[in-house]
Amino acid sequence: MNETLYVQLLNLAAGAFLLAAVMVLWRRELTVIIRVFALQGVALAGLVAVLAAHERSVELAVVAAAIVVLRAGVLPLLLRRALAGAGEAQRETRPLVNVSASLLAAAVLTLIAYAVTRPLVELAPSPATQAIPIGLTVVLIGLFVLVTRRRALSQLVGFLLLDNGITAIGFLTTSGVPLVVELGVSLDVLFAVLVLQILTTRMRATFGDTDLDELRELRD
Amino acid sequence: MSALGAVGAVGAVAQPVLIVGGSPLMLGVMRQVRAKLEGRAGAGIMQPWRDLRKLFRKEPILPRGTSEVFRYAPIVLMGTTLVVAVVAPFVTVESGLDPVADLFAVVALLALGTVALALAGLDTGTAFGGMGASREMTIIALVEPTLLVAILALSLRVGSTNLPTIVSATLHDPGRVISPVSLLAVVALVVVIIAETGRLPVDNPSTHLELTMVHEAMVLEYAGPDLALVELASAMRLTVFLGLLTTLFAPWGIATTATPAALAIGLSAFAAKITVLGVLLAAGEVFMAKLRLFRVPELLAGSFLLSLLAVAASFFLA
Amino acid sequence: MNLAALGFAAALTSAMGAVIAALVSPADRRALTVGVATGAAGGAAVLAGAAAMAGQGFSLAVPWVLPLAGFRLALDPLGGLFVAVTGGVAVAAGVFGIGYARHGLAGRAAQAVLPVFVAAMLLVPAADSVGTFLVCWELMAVASLPLVLAEHRRRTEVGEAGLWYGVMTHLGFIAILIGLLIFAAQAGDASFTALRQAGAHLSGGVASVVFVTTLVGFAAKAGIAPLHAWLPRAHPEAPSHVSALMSAAMVNLGVYGIVRVGFDLLGSGQGGGQGGGQGWWWPLVLLLGAISAVYGILQAVISTDLKRLLGYSTTENMGLVLIGVGAAGMFAADGNRVLAGLALAAALLHVINHAAFKSLLFLAAGSAVHATGTRDLDALGGLRPGMPVTTGLFGLGALAASALPPGAAFVSEWLLLQSLVHGLPPSGVPSAILLPVAVAAIALTAGLAVATFVKAFGVGFLAKPRSEAAAEATESPPSMLVGMGVAGAACVVLALGATAVLPGVGSVAMLASGSPDPAVHGAVIVQLSTVAGSLSPLLLAVALLVGAVVVVAVLRAVAARSRQRRIARLWDCGGGPLSARMEYTATSFAEPLQRVFDDVLQPELDVDVTHATESRYLVQTVEYRRRVPDRIERRLYQPVLAAVRAWGRAARALATGSVHRYLGYGFYTVTALLIVLAVTR
Repeated sequence: MNETLYVQLLNLAAGAFLLAAVMVLWRRELTVIIRVFALQGVALAGLVAVLAAHERSVELAVVAAAIVVLRAGVLPLLLRRALAGAGEAQRETRPLVNVSASLLAAAVLTLIAYAVTRPLVELAPSPATQAIPIGLTVVLIGLFVLVTRRRALSQLVGFLLLDNGITAIGFLTTSGVPLVVELGVSLDVLFAVLVLQILTTRMRATFGDTDLDELRELRD
Repeated sequence: MSALGAVGAVGAVAQPVLIVGGSPLMLGVMRQVRAKLEGRAGAGIMQPWRDLRKLFRKEPILPRGTSEVFRYAPIVLMGTTLVVAVVAPFVTVESGLDPVADLFAVVALLALGTVALALAGLDTGTAFGGMGASREMTIIALVEPTLLVAILALSLRVGSTNLPTIVSATLHDPGRVISPVSLLAVVALVVVIIAETGRLPVDNPSTHLELTMVHEAMVLEYAGPDLALVELASAMRLTVFLGLLTTLFAPWGIATTATPAALAIGLSAFAAKITVLGVLLAAGEVFMAKLRLFRVPELLAGSFLLSLLAVAASFFLA
Repeated sequence: MNLAALGFAAALTSAMGAVIAALVSPADRRALTVGVATGAAGGAAVLAGAAAMAGQGFSLAVPWVLPLAGFRLALDPLGGLFVAVTGGVAVAAGVFGIGYARHGLAGRAAQAVLPVFVAAMLLVPAADSVGTFLVCWELMAVASLPLVLAEHRRRTEVGEAGLWYGVMTHLGFIAILIGLLIFAAQAGDASFTALRQAGAHLSGGVASVVFVTTLVGFAAKAGIAPLHAWLPRAHPEAPSHVSALMSAAMVNLGVYGIVRVGFDLLGSGQGGGQGGGQGWWWPLVLLLGAISAVYGILQAVISTDLKRLLGYSTTENMGLVLIGVGAAGMFAADGNRVLAGLALAAALLHVINHAAFKSLLFLAAGSAVHATGTRDLDALGGLRPGMPVTTGLFGLGALAASALPPGAAFVSEWLLLQSLVHGLPPSGVPSAILLPVAVAAIALTAGLAVATFVKAFGVGFLAKPRSEAAAEATESPPSMLVGMGVAGAACVVLALGATAVLPGVGSVAMLASGSPDPAVHGAVIVQLSTVAGSLSPLLLAVALLVGAVVVVAVLRAVAARSRQRRIARLWDCGGGPLSARMEYTATSFAEPLQRVFDDVLQPELDVDVTHATESRYLVQTVEYRRRVPDRIERRLYQPVLAAVRAWGRAARALATGSVHRYLGYGFYTVTALLIVLAVTR
């Protein structure tokens, strides 16, 4: 494909990727959050597919397909299953940091990400590397979600955002890690989500709710 | 061995004979001097030899419950003293066995003899034996630093710890003896010799009170020929130590050639020097009392300080 | 494939075979196969090490096994010496372990770990890259820990000993890791060849940091004060052949590390130093050595636990070795190459001699402990009738350890003293102060070592038994005796035939001297090159033997009465036969020395008087307790541990229980770091 198309598609995918992350911060309904996360999976797969097309690499295309299956298909499915038992509580309870403050924090994190990755981008300027700050932003947003959300499911989504961001950075900097590593990481994530899903169900069964702020026994 | 090896060989035979024969005599002279100074008649110079003869004629005894350590310790003691008597350059400037005539080796051999006796004392299993061994080991442990540092001071001026080398260097440069280094080292070594041979004020060789014994406690169980060996070896050790003192600091009269005349002079000079030192030691003992055991470390620490000062002086004054 | 490579490969194969044998053999054959295979590994290692010392080295590089520089092995003369020493100790300990394993050590795990430990100790001196070295070092530490804990079911102190040992060995490992990684970062590559080339150009500050951190780690492994606290805890509690391996082979690797990093990699051996950074290194090493030597032997003299005494004696001997290494470094820095080679040769010879006599002593002590069940010297004694071979071998080891002729350590101490004596007149103020101090320290330790081993041998093995257990002791099984015999034979060979070993040691010492001529030479007489000095241990022993024979002959001729000795009573002041209670114990033997060194040792006295209820003038019971604690532990370790505990308690406030807070800590830290990174770029 020619260069301008490539750049435009790349930017589109990266933008969708970032937007999905911000939406997770903005919306409070858990079903919406899961849907947005699925969309982010698609955006990530699109990013990888664009890179694959540009470099004419079959391996990357396979990876893109695997990402769609895993992050836009399997993982949201598991999350929905975890949510299914929730019943009434389909909304995120009031987060530790309210929505407006969260969005402001997201802006600050974006700035930090741009400042930090500037040397990286200057090292090898190309359309792909210029999207790296977005990847780091998503990582930081994922961390932020982990820290400030009360519900176990939201934290799980935050963790998955983190992983998505790291994967994106990986592909943008080096045009992908070896297939073996990618498979391994994906497997890890899958297992993590499975375990956490079971844990969430158990927590709900035992405590009636998965508000983590109420669980304060994890200390000496 | 160099061309003067004959000298060494002759010395190696004449010297131990003189030491073995003469050390009880010297002991007798020392006792006689003490007796005379204390207003007694004394037993005569030959008394130690008479005692030895009596002891050699007695029946050998083995105390119940002791092992080979007790049995062979007098032999080890005597053997080490004999080796030192052969090897050290007292009468001739060459040693009979040069590779063994190193000052560290000689000192260590003499310590080996003491250790054998201490082990024998422990082997008896009596309280006296253990007490003597314990006290003797304490004294040895505190004497070693002084001894080695004094050797260091002596060898510094010469550049070697080989005894014949030190002796010939001192012969060639007599002025060294009067230096502060030598004087400090002499005083330190005198204290060391008193401690190692068990003379007053560190130990009383003629005591019979168990609480005041150090050497005597270790050999309390020996009788007959074993005791004779131990007594003879103790006398030889005293002679050897005094001989080391004279050789290191006043080696004049030592035979440098293989002629009979030089040898005769060497032998008589050695005998004379040892006798003089022995007499001085005995006379000094008349005026001293035995120190409490726990005061002895103070004395030994003082001698250590002197030997350290000797080393320091050899840097700053050389 | 030269002899060194073949021998080394054979050693490792044999060790692996031993591991497999341990896992696969039936229980009654397990100890035998493992012991024989470990012994064979040791023998092959001795051959390999000797070949390497003679000049045939080998090197092997397998790049893909480890990250960075990969897995590299190279056996040069220095490594060969330590491989040979480890191999020798492994032979003795392996054979000894066959009989000793009946003590409850015949389980699969305990038997399988021993060859792994030996193999790791063989690999460390052969490692040629940072990664290999660290992996093998850690393997050695990890393999030794279960061995130390092997008897934990029987005594509760074993657990605590294992904890101290594990923590201190890993703290040392961290220090070595930091030092070597800094060095590798400066050099750009992690292989020792690259480090060697970079070491010549390191700046003074970086080189000093590397040297000090590695010195801390290696000194902790060698048991140098003040990092020695694990040694008197771990060595008594480990099984005796493991103690022998640890004390006679493992602590040497600390010295190996210091020599390798200081002389070889950082290039102190060739030429003076770059900048002022190197001027104070070797005096520091010498000072540490002197302090350890005096402190170690002082604690050994007053110790009443037989194996603790031997452990402290290891500290003392390693201190002496470090005195030699430090002196060699100081001489090399001053440009006096000949003396540097001599001092290093003396230190390395002392390593070999120490390995021989310390393994013999630990094995013999193990045999005594195995027979009586107690390590307390105050409860031993009278072992000569029941255990003649053990007693004789322990006596041989004690003679060797006390640095008296004709023992093994006498030769190495003589060499060390010669190098120090000829090092004066000094070239600067530090030398002028330190060298006489070193001589005085060596002299003090020599005297105290004599007292210590007279106590250990005399109180522990001679006279009458002080307890039931000692009275009923019988000789150990033959495999244990053979193991001890191997070590004893090594002691005798090293004592009389030091001239056989010295050319090899001299060629290793060329690291420091840089000259092609060895520092010492001679077949029967040890002669020093350039400086005047010679000694012949063989002639000395022969002279002693001849002297003894002459004395016996003269005695036979002179003593008139019959040769048959009459058995007589001991002098008991007429009060009847003496009981064993009246013997001197180890505590009483060392009491005068403890009084002399009261200020250093600071014993703790507790006297509890209980008066009778009727009147305060009558005493019902008096309880007297005296302990001599390890003063360095008391003053240095206890405050540090108390501070760490206080911090731990204070840090509890950070853990409130809220998951969000914990996650928050991570998030804030990452963000703060990123901000800092962005700002400082």
